[in-house]
Amino acid sequence: MIFDPILDHFRGKAVTIPPLDGAFRPNTLLDDAGVFSDLGEADNLAVSGGRLFASSGNAVYSFAVGCEPEIAARFPAPVTALAVGPGGDLAVALETGKLLIDGVEQALPSIVGCISALAFAADGTLWLANGSADHSIANWSADLMRRGASGSIWKRFPGSAQFSQAASGLAFPYGLLPVNGGVIFSESWKHRLVRLDSATGTQRTVADKLPGYPARLSPATGGGAWLAFFAPRNRLIELVLQETHYRMDMISLVPREFWIAPALSSGRSFLEPLQCGGIKTMGVHKPWSPSRSYGLVVRLGEKLQPLFSYHSRANGHRHGTCSAVELDGRLLVASKGGDCIVDAGPTDIAQQKVH
Amino acid sequence: MSLRERIQAWRYNYMPDHLIGEILTKRWTDNAIPFAVLVATIAIFGSAVSGFFKVASLQESTRQLGEFSLVVTGLTVVMLGGGIDLSVGSIFALSAFSAVAVFFIFEQPVWLALLAAIATGLLYGAINGYLVGFLRLRAFITTLVTFIIGRAIYDILVVSFAAQVQTSLASSDVWDFIGDETVFGLSISVLTAILLAIVTHVALTRSRPGWHVLAVGGSRRSAHNAGIRVRRTVFFTYVFSGLCSSIAGFLIACRLSGVGPGTGLNLEILALTAAVVGGNSLGGGRGSVVKGVMGAIIVLVMTNGLIRLGYGTGTTQLVLGVMLAVAVTIDIRWLKNRHKVLNEIYVAPVYLKMGETQSAAPGSGTPYELDDRLSEADYIGLGELEGPEDVILDRDDNLYCGTRHGEIVRFFAPDYKRSEVFAHVGGFPLGLAFDPDGNLISCVGAMGLYSISPEREVKKLSAETARSWTSVVDDARLRDPNDCDIAPDGRIYFTDSTKRYDAHDWALDSIENRPTGRLLVYDPKDGSTKTLLDGYRYTNGVCMAHDGKSLFFAESWACRVHRYWLEGPKAGTAECVIKDMPGYPDNINRASDGTYWMAWLGMRTPSFDLSLRHPDMRKRMTRRLPQDEWLFPNINTGGVVKFDENGRIVDTLGDLSGVSHPMVTSMREHKGYLFVGGILNNRIGRYRIAGADPDWTGPVSYWGEKR
Repeated sequence: MIFDPILDHFRGKAVTIPPLDGAFRPNTLLDDAGVFSDLGEADNLAVSGGRLFASSGNAVYSFAVGCEPEIAARFPAPVTALAVGPGGDLAVALETGKLLIDGVEQALPSIVGCISALAFAADGTLWLANGSADHSIANWSADLMRRGASGSIWKRFPGSAQFSQAASGLAFPYGLLPVNGGVIFSESWKHRLVRLDSATGTQRTVADKLPGYPARLSPATGGGAWLAFFAPRNRLIELVLQETHYRMDMISLVPREFWIAPALSSGRSFLEPLQCGGIKTMGVHKPWSPSRSYGLVVRLGEKLQPLFSYHSRANGHRHGTCSAVELDGRLLVASKGGDCIVDAGPTDIAQQKVH
Repeated sequence: MSLRERIQAWRYNYMPDHLIGEILTKRWTDNAIPFAVLVATIAIFGSAVSGFFKVASLQESTRQLGEFSLVVTGLTVVMLGGGIDLSVGSIFALSAFSAVAVFFIFEQPVWLALLAAIATGLLYGAINGYLVGFLRLRAFITTLVTFIIGRAIYDILVVSFAAQVQTSLASSDVWDFIGDETVFGLSISVLTAILLAIVTHVALTRSRPGWHVLAVGGSRRSAHNAGIRVRRTVFFTYVFSGLCSSIAGFLIACRLSGVGPGTGLNLEILALTAAVVGGNSLGGGRGSVVKGVMGAIIVLVMTNGLIRLGYGTGTTQLVLGVMLAVAVTIDIRWLKNRHKVLNEIYVAPVYLKMGETQSAAPGSGTPYELDDRLSEADYIGLGELEGPEDVILDRDDNLYCGTRHGEIVRFFAPDYKRSEVFAHVGGFPLGLAFDPDGNLISCVGAMGLYSISPEREVKKLSAETARSWTSVVDDARLRDPNDCDIAPDGRIYFTDSTKRYDAHDWALDSIENRPTGRLLVYDPKDGSTKTLLDGYRYTNGVCMAHDGKSLFFAESWACRVHRYWLEGPKAGTAECVIKDMPGYPDNINRASDGTYWMAWLGMRTPSFDLSLRHPDMRKRMTRRLPQDEWLFPNINTGGVVKFDENGRIVDTLGDLSGVSHPMVTSMREHKGYLFVGGILNNRIGRYRIAGADPDWTGPVSYWGEKR
């Protein structure tokens, strides 16, 4: 309408989000998939030497094919990120802001206290994502709702004892994928993937306008990557992010689990916010209804273009998918909100299954 | 409370934002813009042109106006029928020539001259109508062609016969009277125009052919499907336009006693501009004669005014062109976007700070603590039923409920496996009650208060109450009658939840939170309906107290229950008995132990409660997000609450699994069981109440044993 530019001053623009279409066309693959392990709050997955490592609460579990899971390590505080090095050394970050490699505490710059992701490059360089300088990992939603952009990325060359800052002022970097000459990281609050050049420090957006809050990245066989989204974008949440007064009152007056904010799981308490489309009608919770939580894993091609995706929709339960890895040709997805690791099946036939 | 919150509260509670939306729902708002332009035009030229309002000046202007508005009236009818008539100028000129020829050349009487003019117009119109209506040629091209041909014929005739007309000695008093005299200060042309405008207006708005024209203009296909003879209707609109133009042509012939090359020149552009500037839609179906006349006045005042101010023809044409362009743009944009604008601005939230509430969370230890007991209920009608808002049982234990399809369904005792449609009412039957004679009284959403006899005869009891003085949208109509109950004297007390939203949009009312709910009473003795209380935030369930001296009613969005006294010292007043509940109350019904059951349709959430203190945020939400994304109260979890005569909470039942009874809108105790309904549910639950009187029934509690 031709009067839109004028009227917009009075009524504001419609709040829109990228649609789930094309490679993101919804399906129910995550809900249909089998359970690999019913690990509570399964968070970060990593693969090394045919074994799967998964963080859950205060512990890191190790899974070998055909064997019972065993506790690889237990810590005094919840684990926030983990990575396995080329030599099999296990790097673990704790909510207290500590970083341990094979149980040995490493020296960290004082500003690092919210480690959201760790990754070893092939040459042994350790990359570290610090989600926020102002909030701990447990307070990630506060960082989002305060529109935080104080995250940073650090690297430590093999043999060195000091981390050096590679990038700063980021809106919650949450996933790391070392590539030749740099790293690709997901900037969650900005819904995009950025490539950071190791030598020059330049940043280049490689994928943006993603339909969710991206979490961790992992390499895929045949090139490309797996990207897990821990929550969907939601138009009401985007509106609240624009509504300063309401948002600030909400942060100070409403308990955090009942905020209008993304969540790892939803619908568990009647005190949570509800949107019109989410009303159960005639016994049905519409799968396409707006939701604060969702399960979504997308396969990215070599140029990081999305190819196809796995979903757990609004009426599903495998929500809060924080990481996805490939193990022996099968895709495993940690659903933190659904308290399990999902076995999403062979990756080579996944594309046919989706389309 | 912060200063900002104070200002917000004042701004949103005392500024009547909702009136803008209500006014926009009125059809007459279409007239507002042309009327404003009319007033402005007259004011500007009236002050700029000296002597504009002098009688002589007005006399001359109005004579012109009479002829012109006749033409515009005809064109308006064609446009309402979805067409366009560019040939009005030619018809006008040729008719004038016919009249002049008959009168001056053939020296015939005036009435024959009139007939000749009219015959010319009718014939011309019939040709247009035949081509456009029956042969279905494009109206624009067709009338453009007939306009050119007609004009050419006229030019030839004028050249050939002008001398003969000039030299004719024919004269008549009638002819001169029509041309020059006035009746009661009004010229014949003005009188004719007024008469024709009134007749056309009445015909368009109050007669079958008129409705057919509007229907055809609004949508040819729908009109055709409705059985309207579209082609014939279109044909007659052109014939009518020809008639109007010919009368106008006759009148100008009388006034000028002759015709010239300039007669009727550019008339089609003037008339088209007038019709469109008046607000008649080019697409057809929307408009009126009044608009056409308004447009005629605007255009004429403007052109004459400009000429008298000394501007040339070029300027006048330019101004007309600009006016036409603006009018067409506004018309098209308005037509296309009016409902969008209305949708965007209708919701006008108000400020409310809800009181602190006790927790209903399991384990909180409050009387409101929800549990999972309702999930143990048996299902009745699972998968067959849609939307049993209220449930009720008769003396023979049969179960009745309304559905969203407008039916009252009866499930047969004792196992409630078999069911039948007891009666089809329409609307959305909500609250139910049995009167002493066994008639089922129902509040039917979007319709009113209805009674269904045991013989299934459906009778309307009430659909309106007195209109309040300050209402813009007629609030006499019952929009969302919700629940009813019957006093011992037979009077039916019922609620109408909101004046702002229709029954199916009930949940939207929670976003707005404007107090417009009413408590009403219907008196079966004289059939009257009275408003008892007004200004509550969604009045909902009604229940007569066990002693029949007062009633309880729920105020949903404020989470309160009030008691209204029917007799005693407080008769006619209401007092709040339960406030600041953690859930939104719905229907209330009697329990066997002298207490009351109350349904919770949903639960308060901290985020929604906070949004009530931010009306600006809610307002932007309704404008920037589609409805599916709006923040709602949590109506996916409900419950059943039991309270006693003093408003003390006795017990609370829930279904936290959310599978069987996510939302509860009603419950009815009967012989030791609780029957549970939900407006968005697909089943009725039957729950055995521990320790309840196994013989107690509602009908006996209200009306005693069967006589």
